[in-house]
Amino acid sequence: MRPVYALGAGAHPWGKWPEKPQLQLALEAMSAALADAGIVWAEVQGLVAASSRFEGGMGWGLHANEVVQAVAEQGIPCINVGGACAAGAIALQTAHALVASGQYDVVAALGAERMPKGFIPRPPGSADDRSDNDFLRWVAMGATNPAYWAIEARRRQHEHGTSERTLAQASALMRRNAGGNRLARYRDPISEEDVLASPMVADPLHLLQICPVSDGAAAVILGSEDYVRRSGKAAVRVAGCAVGSGQFGDPARRIPTISSTVRDGVAHTSEVTGAVRAAFELAGIGPEDVDLLEMADNSAWHILAWPELFGFYEPGQGDWMLEQGKLAIGGELAINPSGGFLSFGEATTAQALLQVSEVLWQLRGEAHGHQVPEAKVGMTAVLGLGANGGSVILTR
Amino acid sequence: MGEAAERFVVEGLVEQTSAGPRLIGSRCRGCGTFYFPQKASCPNPACTDKAPVAALLPDQGTLYSYTLQRYQPPPLFRMDGWEPYLLGLVDLGEGLQVMGMLTGVKEQEVRIGMTLRLVTEPLYCDDDGTAVLTYKFTPAGTAL
Ligand SMILES: [Zn+2]
Repeated sequence: MRPVYALGAGAHPWGKWPEKPQLQLALEAMSAALADAGIVWAEVQGLVAASSRFEGGMGWGLHANEVVQAVAEQGIPCINVGGACAAGAIALQTAHALVASGQYDVVAALGAERMPKGFIPRPPGSADDRSDNDFLRWVAMGATNPAYWAIEARRRQHEHGTSERTLAQASALMRRNAGGNRLARYRDPISEEDVLASPMVADPLHLLQICPVSDGAAAVILGSEDYVRRSGKAAVRVAGCAVGSGQFGDPARRIPTISSTVRDGVAHTSEVTGAVRAAFELAGIGPEDVDLLEMADNSAWHILAWPELFGFYEPGQGDWMLEQGKLAIGGELAINPSGGFLSFGEATTAQALLQVSEVLWQLRGEAHGHQVPEAKVGMTAVLGLGANGGSVILTR
Repeated sequence: MGEAAERFVVEGLVEQTSAGPRLIGSRCRGCGTFYFPQKASCPNPACTDKAPVAALLPDQGTLYSYTLQRYQPPPLFRMDGWEPYLLGLVDLGEGLQVMGMLTGVKEQEVRIGMTLRLVTEPLYCDDDGTAVLTYKFTPAGTAL
């Protein structure tokens, strides 16, 4: 593999954008990424898009094709990848492979999403019988997504004594980080009291401890060493990049299943921890080298648990790290300086590419208003339906 | 007067035995792994036989964790007289943890580690009067 660099990134601010079709969000993110990389469409040699289930793609997830047909009919490969909420990471992995192989010099990865209102409907063609977990979890027990995270959080309270206040502090930190990020949807500061006063959704998780859904789009352009030299920008390298799927025996409460077959010694959320481990190996570094981690905080529980699962510190230590301010911007390990999913709301297929964009800007020192001082190494981690995990490490 | 009509929310989840209800899962003849609900094959990568057969699961277990579902799930879920309910994750042994509603226990009485047993209860009545049942867990020793 030859070295691959992040030439530029762009994003459409997260929010609700009823007047802008998904394609429009995608085009705006791509334009911003091209401008950031200092290149034009004619130089792009390939486009990988995260396929959305909700809008666009001509019914076949052909989101990359729609983009080039709108703005750049130049014969380039259009690759469309699925991976639900991890699709953006799979798009980046694919773009990385295309450049690393030497076949192409400049390839873009793109994710754009407008989320439907209310509950996400089941996909057409699903069977109404016991073979479909997403049917079973509703009809047999009405298990909502927050209930799965709440069951994890309650178990953590039992094992590590995590307090309601610490769980509230996680949300407050995310909002404080988002305060300086113009791309985040929710930027007003919230106190721990505000979090605890918000309605209880699934004990012990309150409304402000669960990520909502949003519309948003992000794109990252990868390229060869020649291109990054020519751009005149700081050379930020994709030092590690990996995707993975789940391991047999994983004890995680995996949405939408209603049971887990658990085996001793198997990592929790193995699809993500496996990708993280593989990314570390490729980069030849470990957790102690990382300055910031952009991770999928679908709930406040994730902020406490995930870095432990990745080996940043011992199980149970996350509470103390958070309470001591070590996870804040300027702390030992800045977690989600962007503000995370809790402050953005999840725009599923776009989310992992926003994470990579954020890390790129941080390493360049361009994360105005929420900059991690002296950031040299940044990492992302994301989880998607179907036990998809992805992780990316950028280094400067 | 005939017996009141009953059915389960989904076929093939629960078997009513003379000793009470049991969940129907699978046990792989190759590697011995238990699954719930029944599986078409065996995802254990070390298993070469991949031969799951229907198996009744233990009807008792211990509570591993739980939550209180505070708001009404989307319409696919039906429940007469809706009110917030407890959802538990129950360790049945054999390396198997199963989610289900809890019944016969108040939130302030729930303890991780408590022994629970399987029961069935009506969730709602269909338009034709059929009682639609699901499986739940209740503290062992409670009459229900
Ligand atoms: Zn087997």
